[in-house]
Amino acid sequence: MSILAIEAALLLVIVCVSLWRMLSGDVDIPPHRVISLLYPFLPLDSEASLDAIVVRSVRLPRLLSALGAGASLGVAGVVLQGLLLNPMAEPYTLGIASGAAFGGALVISSSVMAVVPAAFIGALAAMAAVYAIAERAGGGRVHIILAGVIVSAFLSAGVTFLKAVADERIGAIVLWLMGGFSGSSPLSAFAVWLAAAFSFFVSWLYGRHLDAVSLGEEAGASLGVDERNLRILLLSAVSMSSAVAVSFFGIIGFVGLVVPHVMRMLTGSTHRPLLCCSFLGGAALMAAADGAAQLCGELPVGVITAMIGAPFFCWLLARRRMSNF
Amino acid sequence: MLKDMSSGPEGLSQGRLVALIGPNGSGKTTLLRTLCGLLRYDGSVTLYGRELGTYRRRELGRIVGMLPQTSGADIAYSVHDLIGLGRIPHGGLVSGRSEDDEAAVLNAARVMGVEPLLFRQASKLSGGEMRRVLMAMLLAQDPAVFLLDEPSSASDIKHAVRMFSIMKDLSSSGKLVVSAVHDINLAARFADALVVIKEGRILDIVPGGGLDEDILSRLYDVSFELFMSSGGEKAWHAIAE
Repeated sequence: MSILAIEAALLLVIVCVSLWRMLSGDVDIPPHRVISLLYPFLPLDSEASLDAIVVRSVRLPRLLSALGAGASLGVAGVVLQGLLLNPMAEPYTLGIASGAAFGGALVISSSVMAVVPAAFIGALAAMAAVYAIAERAGGGRVHIILAGVIVSAFLSAGVTFLKAVADERIGAIVLWLMGGFSGSSPLSAFAVWLAAAFSFFVSWLYGRHLDAVSLGEEAGASLGVDERNLRILLLSAVSMSSAVAVSFFGIIGFVGLVVPHVMRMLTGSTHRPLLCCSFLGGAALMAAADGAAQLCGELPVGVITAMIGAPFFCWLLARRRMSNF
Repeated sequence: MLKDMSSGPEGLSQGRLVALIGPNGSGKTTLLRTLCGLLRYDGSVTLYGRELGTYRRRELGRIVGMLPQTSGADIAYSVHDLIGLGRIPHGGLVSGRSEDDEAAVLNAARVMGVEPLLFRQASKLSGGEMRRVLMAMLLAQDPAVFLLDEPSSASDIKHAVRMFSIMKDLSSSGKLVVSAVHDINLAARFADALVVIKEGRILDIVPGGGLDEDILSRLYDVSFELFMSSGGEKAWHAIAE
């Protein structure tokens, strides 16, 4: 199958999922009304109707948030796996999630309500710590992974500690950590799309350089690619975009890990097409998972991505031997 | 660890094929990696009259190219895409491959005889095929200085000889080719000069035909015997003790 055909198929999936998500919900709104309400310049009186609020302020931001977060995590997974030459790498193995969790839990337990900024700062601080430790240890790819694992473990312990001493606020912490898209707003949708578009654009631009460093340090350098600079640039871009997704929507694992692997089976490892397909695939998967989560009575969406994704991934692994990358 | 390269391959000039010979661990790879700008060094390495360390990585990619001994090429790139990576130093950031790039890729594939493999997946190639594809990538890169680490390893005899004649052609067309070589007979037959390295030091620099028993036995700590074909070609054989 050509890359274009795969991309078209993924787009079609996104359209179908979007239709499903926009047309279904607790409030019954006929399809033609939903479509007419999506017109950007509605007269003021119809903008205030219940239907309009449901479609424009609830369903659409939620759909866009899920699509953007999935796209962001898919791209981040591709970049991290390629950059670190490690099939296990994803935003969450590098401490980004635990950093966000710790930052968020810290402010919830101290009853300050700036949860999203705190989680964002936590995620970026964790990533910076991972990078600093890895640099001191020699700056290799393995060092980054190991530092990520260590920082994650430390911060997860920190989250557990905060839960233990949080008394009555433990409920709020647990609820926030579960994550999900039910609290999406136009702001969250806009922020996550901005971040996703930025990280995709930067990664795509450097896609061929990513191809080169995936061959190994020597081969990449001999092709004139400065791996250190590339790593700083791309790690910053995808950390930032994952941090945005995590701080708004909580810990949603698995998408950043599985989507790149599945897409690699379809497209091969060349990064530019892989990035495009993982952007689309991540978006489709996340929006569908969010739909399923809502159907199951607002389960945390991370539960859905893992419970459906893990067996599916195992089946794929068993069915065809995966090349490393 | 290279200790003293002061008598080293200074003054290596374009249009030469230089073979680095020496036992395992003698410093051949380290020397190649240093020349490629991958390692820090004391002293001075100049390239076109300019200190190697002052080149930016991207600039260096247009001047020096290296075929490493190992490469993590267990990657699902098509052979065509893989060879195309050689064009990275020549292209802009945004652009894909231009027509010139495409022509360079096809030409490199033709020279290395890997045209039939172009649309195969690189991770499914044999060791020898992979080596030739990576060499094609280097040809597509078209640097002025080719640094090759055991280019014919994993190749059968036919492809090993072919690899050396390609290296010879490159040097005749004005490139400087510096190659670590295990097969001293291929090195002696094709190279313009042999740099003899042991324990991080250069023992000697001799012209291609200038190997003698003394140098070889000092280098490898075994005795050698010279065989001469009726056509006058020399071949050295190590004698088992």
